[in-house]
Amino acid sequence: MKESYGVRLPGLELDDLVGKLIVLEGTDGVGRSTQIRLLKEWLEQQGHAVLDTGLTRSGLVGKGIKRAKEGHTLGRITLTLFYATDFADRLENEIVPALRAGFVVLTDRYIYSLMARSMVRGLDSVWVRNIHRFAPKPDAVFYLRISVDELIPRAVFTRGFDYWESGMDLYSAEDMYDSFRKYQTALLQQFDQLAEEFSFDVIDARPDPRVIFEQLKAGIDRILTPPLGRAALAIPSGTPEAGEEVAVEDAPEERRKRA
Amino acid sequence: MIVVSPVLFGFLRMKRYGDHRIPGRLFVVEGIDGSGKSTQLMLLHQWLKAEGYGVVFSEWNSSPLVKDTTKRGKKKQLLTPATFSLIHATDFADRTERNIIPLLKAGAVVLCDRYIYTAFARDASRGMDPEWIRELYAFAVRPTVGFYFRVPLEVAMKRISDARAGFKFYEAGMDLGLSDDPDESFRLFQGRILEEYDKMIPEFGLTVIDATLPIETQQQEMRLMVLAKLTQAKQLRVAP
Repeated sequence: MKESYGVRLPGLELDDLVGKLIVLEGTDGVGRSTQIRLLKEWLEQQGHAVLDTGLTRSGLVGKGIKRAKEGHTLGRITLTLFYATDFADRLENEIVPALRAGFVVLTDRYIYSLMARSMVRGLDSVWVRNIHRFAPKPDAVFYLRISVDELIPRAVFTRGFDYWESGMDLYSAEDMYDSFRKYQTALLQQFDQLAEEFSFDVIDARPDPRVIFEQLKAGIDRILTPPLGRAALAIPSGTPEAGEEVAVEDAPEERRKRA
Repeated sequence: MIVVSPVLFGFLRMKRYGDHRIPGRLFVVEGIDGSGKSTQLMLLHQWLKAEGYGVVFSEWNSSPLVKDTTKRGKKKQLLTPATFSLIHATDFADRTERNIIPLLKAGAVVLCDRYIYTAFARDASRGMDPEWIRELYAFAVRPTVGFYFRVPLEVAMKRISDARAGFKFYEAGMDLGLSDDPDESFRLFQGRILEEYDKMIPEFGLTVIDATLPIETQQQEMRLMVLAKLTQAKQLRVAP
């Protein structure tokens, strides 16, 4: 049911995968993790089993990457390959088994982020694309798009500038602000090209998170089959639309605040 | 297409295999376990030092950054053909970026025990796509000379079993399930690797040394070839 971008890994069959692979892409601070959290809850309420995953979480290399990044000692080629190793490990041990079992796999970033970061660092685009050719083609890629000017206040007033998100390995002579602006501008350019090449669903990331959530839900609805069919979902006390509204207001974060 | 310009972002484009123009010299040895390549490289190293060259030795699978991950993966047998391939490429990239390229730029003679051809042979034997692996390592510097120590499987097996007891899990290709017996698995796996090496001799212009000849004869051949490449070089660094 799934195919890769051209390279088959030994022992990793993709044609018996029945689940759906849904990707959220976008630069740092664009609100991906909030949306993943909302989507997971919504999908589970709809009766879909969900696996949410992201970058550098693999059992094999996740820790190794974090340690190496703390020392700021990774070269750009090494960094690219380290991330690819992590991705392959998660693909084989997490993503593909979940897809085989019929899960909806919701991933926070995918190979496109990895490719964009590497190309911003001057790496050969043929080389970068080749490395990631073993990845299965997703059922949908939603790209949360934002401009650098709108991104900056989010970085300043939430978590501050991060060394890697500011591309300080590229422009070490500058301060974090100038570096962040340059780096994220270059990154957005790469994302825009990838969006065209890989036909992303582009979603404007500026509005309120709830508006974005509604758009994502509509996009995901198009590729999912409800487990029982729409008719069986009719709940006597209300319409499905009303049920969805409640899901938004009951976001886990808000519930935690109330508790 | 790609808009990243080296001027705008202050970053140089990645150089590909064969594109590096650097003053140093890179000599690598390849061959299956038991071919005697490490001994030959050690002897070459001693000679170059005695001749006064600035010479540095770089071992396969030794990057301090990646080594721990590789070790853990092997010990716990977490590695699949794909992650085995990628983690070794990561290790090699770290050594290339932080070690091999800067040293060659500085005019050193760099010696490598195993190089990208080891990865091509092993990974292809594990079922990885040969074209994909070659492109994966496209950032590697092309060696000045790549020596391949060719030896029949039986000779290599004999040398190894004389020297140590038993094979390691991945070394014997036990992850492939070729045989439950480590000796038999090693034989089958190394047999595949030999076939891959043979294909690479013309593809990468490897210099074949007959590894059944006396050690002194092999070393003499090696030194003559190396000497020819060193006398052409004008900017080599002399050891302090």
